[in-house]
Amino acid sequence: MTSDVLGQAAGTRRSIGRINEPRPALVEASFEGTPLRVNRQGVALVREEWRVVDRWWTEEPVDRRYFDVVLEGGQQTVVYRDEEGRGWFTQRGA
Amino acid sequence: MRSVEHVFVIACIIIPGFELRAALLTRPGLMLRPAALAPAPGTEPLLGPVTAAAEAKGVRPGMRMGEALATCPSLVLVEQDPSAADQAWEEILRRLEDNGFAVGSEEPGCVHFETGGIERLYGGLQPALRRALAAVGSAWDPRAGAAERRFAALAAASVARPGQVLIVSDEGTDAFLAPLPLATLPLGAGVQAELRELGVRRLGELARLPAGSVAERLGPEGTQAWGLAHGGRRGRVRGRRPPPEIVEVLEFPEAVGNELTLRRALAALVERVLGRPDRAGRFVRKVAVSARLVGGGSWRRTLTLREPAAEPDRLRIALGPKLAELPAPVVELRLELVELADEVGRQLELVRPAGAERNSRLTQGLRQVRASTGTGSVCSVVEVAPWSRIPEARALFVPRDE
Repeated sequence: MTSDVLGQAAGTRRSIGRINEPRPALVEASFEGTPLRVNRQGVALVREEWRVVDRWWTEEPVDRRYFDVVLEGGQQTVVYRDEEGRGWFTQRGA
Repeated sequence: MRSVEHVFVIACIIIPGFELRAALLTRPGLMLRPAALAPAPGTEPLLGPVTAAAEAKGVRPGMRMGEALATCPSLVLVEQDPSAADQAWEEILRRLEDNGFAVGSEEPGCVHFETGGIERLYGGLQPALRRALAAVGSAWDPRAGAAERRFAALAAASVARPGQVLIVSDEGTDAFLAPLPLATLPLGAGVQAELRELGVRRLGELARLPAGSVAERLGPEGTQAWGLAHGGRRGRVRGRRPPPEIVEVLEFPEAVGNELTLRRALAALVERVLGRPDRAGRFVRKVAVSARLVGGGSWRRTLTLREPAAEPDRLRIALGPKLAELPAPVVELRLELVELADEVGRQLELVRPAGAERNSRLTQGLRQVRASTGTGSVCSVVEVAPWSRIPEARALFVPRDE
């Protein structure tokens, strides 16, 4: 079987999907955990910071530290660090 | 592996090297000799699927043509025949549909369907899949796999032997996927090489890595591969809408390469196909023009109209430029109405459409999008927990196929 076919089957979006699903991001952070670079672009300004702790009673707890940042290119984006150790992500709709 | 008792078992049937097999339908003897599918004109000179005899002589699919001919000088290069492949694949899908399988097909050679509705009809999952393999036909050497996840079903079918049914239970998915090679995954060559350098060669080794590390190192492609190494997402398979089968063919007494003659022939075909009574006045949404070429082989182009139409001029104008892409003189030109709209006329608007009229136009518009981008491409947004503090938990995309 060619991986083309496998890829196509895997890539076809026919199932139910989530909106605003987090996407893995490449983030360099300072010692305090504030993002300095997001996806290889420097951070010009951190506009806001907040924390979401939820579902702590389940086996998939959510513990995120969100940052609303403006990048050097002028683009505004929201990134968060997953405090459960799953790394950095960008997310819309936050 | 043991059989799975579940409502949404997804089955997959694959025919390895389908394009080559289809191209050899008229020359079955070549299947036993070293042969390979030649690359399409104007593309990189890489081989397509190869026969078992060619593989035994060291020729591999994807090999450079020069290298393959140096490895096996007796290798026969078979010209691509997309028209024969489409036709043969359509016949296979129809045979499956005649046996009650609501199939969804991504590309020739690979078909998925859910077994929930037909297991009781055939007395279980295994007999149903045997029936499906019989419907495809043993001459194609089909293999079947079934699992609760689409990717796992595909992987099962890809390791099954010809005529074999391989069923993977959900709890056994990880163990089944673990020893499979990394090449099973849809990864770019760069990512595959990076993983090999890190010592990752099998799906199980990738699955054991922490998700966060994979995402950080390999990005979204790595995340998707990591998910697939765990079996992929659960999903449903939606059966396709069978095409209407309205075809007109024009055979030339001798090969024609002149574009003006071809355009005239196309105009005649357009008139004939639009005059077919089984079109029942419906507008054309998607159309395919194909040709049988003089030296063997075929050519095919599919076109989705910007909006459904039934005027001959519009079809001619849309299809005419495609004829300039013909790689060789043709001996047969064929025009096929692949998909028809429900509408049979168009009323110019005096007032802004509203209510049922607007909904009907919206539905038609969505069908048009679906015709050009494929099943599952149109989704509705369904709010599930708008109050949630977790953004991705607030709403879902739900495929909207009707």
